[in-house]
Amino acid sequence: MTEPSRTIVYTCPYVPAEWIAAHGLQPRRLIPLPTDGATVAPRVEGLCPYARAFANDAAAENAAGIVVTTLCDQMRRVYDLLARGTRTPTFLLNVPKTWQTVAAQRMYLEELKRLGRFLVRLGGHAPSYNELAETMTQHVGWAASAISPVHDASVPIAVVGGPLMQRDRILFDLIEESGGRIALDATETGRRGQRRAFDRRRLTENPLMELADAYFSIPDASRRPNSELYSWLKNELTQTGVRGVVFHHYVWCDAWRAELARLKEWVGLPVLGLDSDGHDETDVARLRTRIRAFLEMLQ
Amino acid sequence: MNAEPRKINLEQWDREYARLRAAGMTEPVYGGPLSRHVADGDTRLLKLRYDNSPAALRLWNFLLTEEDRLRAARDDGKKLVGAMKDLGTVPVMAYSLDNLVAFYPDGAWWIPCVMELNTGLLQIADSLGIDESFCPVRAMLGAFITEAHFPLPDLLTCSVGATCDDFSAIAQRLNGLGHPILWWEIPHRRPAENGEQAVTLPGGFSAPQSQIDFVRSELSRVKAALEELASRSLDDDTLAAGIAKANLVRELLAQLRHLAFTAPLCPMPALEMLIAEMLAIHFCSDQDETILVLTDLLAEVTRRVAAGTGHLPADAARIFWVNPVADLQAMNLLEDCGGRMCGTEYLFAHALDPIPTTIPTMEALAQMALADPMVGSAFDRAARIVADIRRFGAEAVIVSRIPGASHCALEGEIIGQVVRETYGLPVLEIEVPSITDATQATLRTRLEALVETVKDRRER
Ligand code: SF4
Ligand code: SF4
Repeated sequence: MTEPSRTIVYTCPYVPAEWIAAHGLQPRRLIPLPTDGATVAPRVEGLCPYARAFANDAAAENAAGIVVTTLCDQMRRVYDLLARGTRTPTFLLNVPKTWQTVAAQRMYLEELKRLGRFLVRLGGHAPSYNELAETMTQHVGWAASAISPVHDASVPIAVVGGPLMQRDRILFDLIEESGGRIALDATETGRRGQRRAFDRRRLTENPLMELADAYFSIPDASRRPNSELYSWLKNELTQTGVRGVVFHHYVWCDAWRAELARLKEWVGLPVLGLDSDGHDETDVARLRTRIRAFLEMLQ
Repeated sequence: MNAEPRKINLEQWDREYARLRAAGMTEPVYGGPLSRHVADGDTRLLKLRYDNSPAALRLWNFLLTEEDRLRAARDDGKKLVGAMKDLGTVPVMAYSLDNLVAFYPDGAWWIPCVMELNTGLLQIADSLGIDESFCPVRAMLGAFITEAHFPLPDLLTCSVGATCDDFSAIAQRLNGLGHPILWWEIPHRRPAENGEQAVTLPGGFSAPQSQIDFVRSELSRVKAALEELASRSLDDDTLAAGIAKANLVRELLAQLRHLAFTAPLCPMPALEMLIAEMLAIHFCSDQDETILVLTDLLAEVTRRVAAGTGHLPADAARIFWVNPVADLQAMNLLEDCGGRMCGTEYLFAHALDPIPTTIPTMEALAQMALADPMVGSAFDRAARIVADIRRFGAEAVIVSRIPGASHCALEGEIIGQVVRETYGLPVLEIEVPSITDATQATLRTRLEALVETVKDRRER
C-alpha cells in the first residue's frame, strides 16, 4: 500500500508555503512543464497556456490537495475544471485585488484561516502560534532563479512579466548566450513573486498576521491599483543598474498583456515585448533572433 | 395608430414615422425619425431591421440620445458618475441622489458595432497596447481619450475581484493614463462552509454572510464617495426610495420578458428586447424616462398578446441565448433563420431580479452585487440558465462567444455540458464579432442547422 500523499500543490505566489508546512503538510509550488495530454483543461482558444498547464499538471500529481487562487479570472475558471475533473480536493483562495483597505487585508487573513481549515480536513493539524513562528523562521520559502554572475562585458537585463513555465525558462539561456546577464528576474516565478523577509518582532507577536502581511504585499499586475508593482520595479531597476527590459507574457493573459505598453511609456529603457502560446516548440529560433537583435542594440 | 407587428428597415421606418406623426403621434423631446442617428455616425442602423411600433421607436431614440442627456445633465449642474463593471448596483445608489447621474462607460462595448468601426476607438485602444486579445469593451479606452462619446465623469468607480480580466486590465490602463478610479471589490462567490451562516441571494445563489458583510463594507466606501460628490447624505429612506424605483424598472422588465418569451406568437423581436434588458442596468442616464419607455413597450406587447398578433411563425424554434452579442445584427439573423428568443442571460441576470426590500438597504445591495452570475462558478451560472430554460420553455441554447473575453474560453463548454446533462437540449456555440458581415454566411448556416435540429426533435 502506498502512503497517502501529504503534498499540497499550488502555483500562485500568494499561497504561503509556511502556512501549509505549519499544518504538517508538504507545500509544493508547481511550475508547469507542461505535461503532454490534457486531463482536465483542453487546449481552447482564449485559455491562458499557463493556467491550462497548471490545471493539467496539478491534476496529474498525486497530491493530497490543490490550492488555486483568484489572482486572475482564468485561474478562477480553471478551478471549476479542477473541482469537477479530479478526485483531488481543491481549494479556491480568494486573494483580494484591492489592497489598500483594512477590509481587503482582513479578508486575505480570513481566507488564510479558511485555507487552514481545508488543510486540517486533509489530515493536517492546526498549528499553534509557536509552531507557525518556528516554521516561518526555518522555512526557506520559494527559491527563485539565481541571478547570473557578473561578467564585465555582459549587459544587465531585467525579465519582467507573469509566471514562466519550466520550458520557457529558455528565455534566460537565450539572453545569456546573446551577451546579456539576468540582473533582475521580475517574473511571478522569479524574485518579484517572493514575499518580503519576515519581521522578527512581529513574527513573535502574531505570526499569522506577519505571514499574511508579508505575502499580501507581493506586487503584481493584477492588484488594483497596481502602483506598488511600479514602485517595486523602480527600486529594483535602480539598484540593479539594468539597461534593458525583456517583458514576457502568455497569450490571453490580459493582466500582463495590458502592462506592456504602460511599462514602455514608464520605464525609460529599451523594452523587448515577447509573448508565447506555451505550445509552439518551433518558436525558439525566432526568439533567439529577437533576443540577439535586442542585445546587439544594447551593446 | 398601431399597425400590425412587422419588421422594417430604416427607410421604411422613415415612412412609418411620417405616417405616425400625421396620425397624431406625440413624442418626448428626444424623439424624431430614427434615420437621423445615421448622420451622427450610427451607420449600423442602416443594416438592422426594427419593430414597427411607436414604443420601439421611443426605445431606440432613448438609447441613441444618451450622450445628449449626459451633456445636458452636466450643463444643469448635475454630477456624472461613471460606474464601471458592476452592472446594476452603483447606479441604483447614484440615482437615489437627485443631483447625480450615473452611466456605464462600458457601454462603449457597442460603439464599434453601431458605428461600424468608423470611430477609430479600437485603433486608439490598439495604440495603447490593448489589442484584439481583449473583448470589445476596449473601445471604452478610445472613448475616454476622444471624449466624443460621453463626457468625462466626475467620479469613476470600478468593481474588481471576481470580474473578468479584460475589464480589470483595461480599467487599470485607464487609471495609468491619469483617470482616478475608486476600486471596490466583489470576491468570488462561494458556498458557506460548515459553521458559517449561509444566505440565499436574490436569484437563488447562496453565499456566506461574511462575504455579504465584506461587499457591504465595500459599497459603503462607494456610498461615501457618492455623498461627497453630491454634497448630501444618502440616508436609508432616500436609498430605499431609489431601490423602489429600480425595482419598478425590474418589475416592468420581468413582465416584458415573461410575455415576450412565452406568448404563443413572439410579440417583440429579440433586438428590441436586448435593448430593453440593457436599460435595467444603466437606465440610459434617465431613470424616470426608462420607466416610461418600458411601460410603453409593455403596453404594446400586452396589446399584441391579447390580440394574438406577433412576429415570426408560431412554430419558430424556441432559443435561449447566452451572452450579449457584439453585433446587434445577430439578433435579426436569429429570427431570419427561424429562431425565436425564449430566454436570455446577457451576463447580468442579477440586475433583473428584484432588490430585497425587507432587509437593510446596504445589505440588500451587497446581496445583489454578490448575486452577479459572473462572480461565481461557471457551474452556478449554468444552473441559473438551466432554471430559466425550464421557466421559458426553450428548445435549444446558443452560447455566443465574445471575441477576446477571458470568461468565454471555458464557460461555454461548462454551460453546454450542464444543459445537455439536464435537459438533453442541443447547444450551439458561436462567436459574434462586432461586425459579422464577413462571417454571416457561416453564422446563418449554423443557426439554420440548429433550428432544423429543434424542429426534427419535435417530430421524434
Ligand atoms: S499567466 Fe496571466 S492569465 Fe495565465 S494564470 Fe497567470 S495571471 Fe492568469
Ligand atoms: S464582455 Fe465579458 S470580458 Fe468583456 S467586459 Fe463584459 S464580462 Fe468582461
